[in-house]
Amino acid sequence: MAQTTHTGTGAFARAKLEENDRAIKLFFIAPAVIYLLLLSVFPFIYSVYLSLYDAKLTRMDRKWFVGFENYERLLSDPLFLKAMQNTAVLTMSSIILEVVFGFLCAKVFLSLREMRTGQVLRSMAILPMMITPICVGLMFSYILNPTLGIMNYLLSGVGIEGPSWFGNPTFALPTVIFINAWQWTPFMMLLMLAGLVSIPDSLYEAAELENAKWYHIARYIELPAIRDVILIGIILRVIDNLKLFDLVYVTTRGGPGDSTELLTFFAYRQDFRFFQVGYGSAAAVIILLISIVVTTVAVAYLRKVEK
Amino acid sequence: MNHMKTIAKGVSALALTMALGTSASAQDWSAELDDHDGTTIRVQSIADPFIDAFREVSPAFTELTGAEVTLDSFGYDPLHEKQILSCSQGSDEYDVLFIDGIWVGEFAEAGCLEPVEERVAAANPDVMAMDDYIDSFKGQAIWDGQLQCLPIAGYWHMLHYRKDLFEKHGLEVPKTFDELMQVAKFFAEDDGDPDVAGMAMNFQRGSAAGQQFFEWIYSAGGKPWESNYPGSDDPYADQTPLFNSPEAVEMIEFFKAMVPYGPPGVEQFAWDERANAFTQGKVAMINNWSVRTPLFTDPDISKVTDAFDVAMFPHADGASSVPPVGGWIMCLNAHGQQKDAAWDFMQWFASPEVHKDFVLAGGPPSRHSAMQDEEIIAAQPWVPTLYESAKAAWQEGRPRHAMTFEMIDAIGLQVNRAIVGDATAQEAMDDANETITQMLNRAGYLK
Repeated sequence: MAQTTHTGTGAFARAKLEENDRAIKLFFIAPAVIYLLLLSVFPFIYSVYLSLYDAKLTRMDRKWFVGFENYERLLSDPLFLKAMQNTAVLTMSSIILEVVFGFLCAKVFLSLREMRTGQVLRSMAILPMMITPICVGLMFSYILNPTLGIMNYLLSGVGIEGPSWFGNPTFALPTVIFINAWQWTPFMMLLMLAGLVSIPDSLYEAAELENAKWYHIARYIELPAIRDVILIGIILRVIDNLKLFDLVYVTTRGGPGDSTELLTFFAYRQDFRFFQVGYGSAAAVIILLISIVVTTVAVAYLRKVEK
Repeated sequence: MNHMKTIAKGVSALALTMALGTSASAQDWSAELDDHDGTTIRVQSIADPFIDAFREVSPAFTELTGAEVTLDSFGYDPLHEKQILSCSQGSDEYDVLFIDGIWVGEFAEAGCLEPVEERVAAANPDVMAMDDYIDSFKGQAIWDGQLQCLPIAGYWHMLHYRKDLFEKHGLEVPKTFDELMQVAKFFAEDDGDPDVAGMAMNFQRGSAAGQQFFEWIYSAGGKPWESNYPGSDDPYADQTPLFNSPEAVEMIEFFKAMVPYGPPGVEQFAWDERANAFTQGKVAMINNWSVRTPLFTDPDISKVTDAFDVAMFPHADGASSVPPVGGWIMCLNAHGQQKDAAWDFMQWFASPEVHKDFVLAGGPPSRHSAMQDEEIIAAQPWVPTLYESAKAAWQEGRPRHAMTFEMIDAIGLQVNRAIVGDATAQEAMDDANETITQMLNRAGYLK
């Protein structure tokens, strides 16, 4: 009986302890939850709410419910469709360049990793990603300025008449892609270098015994070994590129014509230049949905690969 | 040389101080202004060249009333964004707002401005001197039949050209679009100087190209919508868009034809690039707002200080010159907490005598008295041409209703598409007309 009583007391004490424990856990996670609710969930819900209205910030007292009309308008707005296309082209092209050049650079720095020069060069190579995109944009605006920039001056030295890099619709988007890739290739390089460093030396020795060429090593040893790292890098860069705004804002402002119009720039102009917050919110919601879908698919693929 | 510059600046400062002193004694301000000791009047403005003159003149107000005056300046788009966002939050951060004359409808509709009509009526007419304002710019401060703000920084467009090169080659100053193109072509192709292009215009997508449409359309013999033409009694009566009219399409074709005669990259030129090309001597002609004209005479930044002159805005054959008008109107923030002090500053600053000091310090003349003042003409020899332009301008040159930003941007996109060859002039302007018709229908502006 005494045993039972003792056990009962213990269970009660444990239950009490667990309850306290849950309270303490709740207490500790509450700030993060409140922070997320205030800064992420509430703005998102409010954006969805606004996207269902025809609303201009300067006339909020006269907004009216239009249901999904803003979304219908967006999907038939040639500028928005062009922005989607440009964003897709920019995202894919930038990432392909970043992965290819990032891998090549990582290989170079891997071979130089024991040398002091290699360490110094590696530190220098990651400088572009430390600069804010606004500064990168300004810097390239000067470099590629058709009248005063050094690029066309150098090209003229070898008899080539440089184009108007940001003023010609044929060159504008590729130029933005190049600048974007220039800035973020070091990021992919660092990720891949970390992956390459972790490959056991024995695999390289075995490949050497088999007289494998460098491309065999890359194809059958290195790329499979760092596939997860590359996928994570790609996911992060896809999200980054869907949010890309400042570089275009500084260099082309979406022009010439609509050749560098991106989704973020489209939404920005609706929200902060025209203050059409209903239409702009609908564009923002679509951008978010695209991000969620792309990220979910990529993460699912990553998990499948891991298994 | 540096010593000379220092002495020149010293003399200029002394002259201004004396001028301010003279002004202060000409008008008995004690009867007009209250004591505002300990107050700080905060002014929000565009970062245009006139803000240096503003800062030079405003300390005299502190001497009269004890109120400090501070000015924060921003770029064109950021200023619009900040002002509308602040207004939507009822912010009293600034007491006095400089807004572009074409924003007045949007700001008035949003309740950002306290109309100054009644304050002007109650003020000393000699201080206000409302009849002294030039009509084409004064009209930009009026909305809903009320004077919303004070029109103190008016700009007009003039053709700026390199008189040294024109004299050297024996060229006449162009008056028509055709003559303009011939001269531009000459400089771009035949003058033997590959570094000097013919003509730089605003072709950049967005506000730059969009505003240029409105700046040129009247001189091209067209009109942007049905009832908006120089002298119209009610420009907003019928807003049926005419952006694809034959005159508009022909004008866009003219723009495109001018591209090869511009500096490299002219498709991306906006106000700064256009003015910079001229100050660096890279282009023979530009059409430009008068507020930047004094900068071309500044040896610190300009290579053409004595080598340029101005002329009336060109026009199409059979049409007449209707120079663009714009500039900044000074408004009372409807949400401000010290409106009386702010109004005292505004009426003081806008008065004819302080306006003269402002202009002598480099500000844009906006009054008849300033345009005719011999001292000002001696300091700014382009003022007689400017005055002529101001009298020929049309106040409704650009839309001033709440959709102006969107409308100008939509046209700017299509003009730029035509310029860079993404579409023909006809296709681009058809698209512009359709987009704007939908836009105005949604806003309820079309009957």
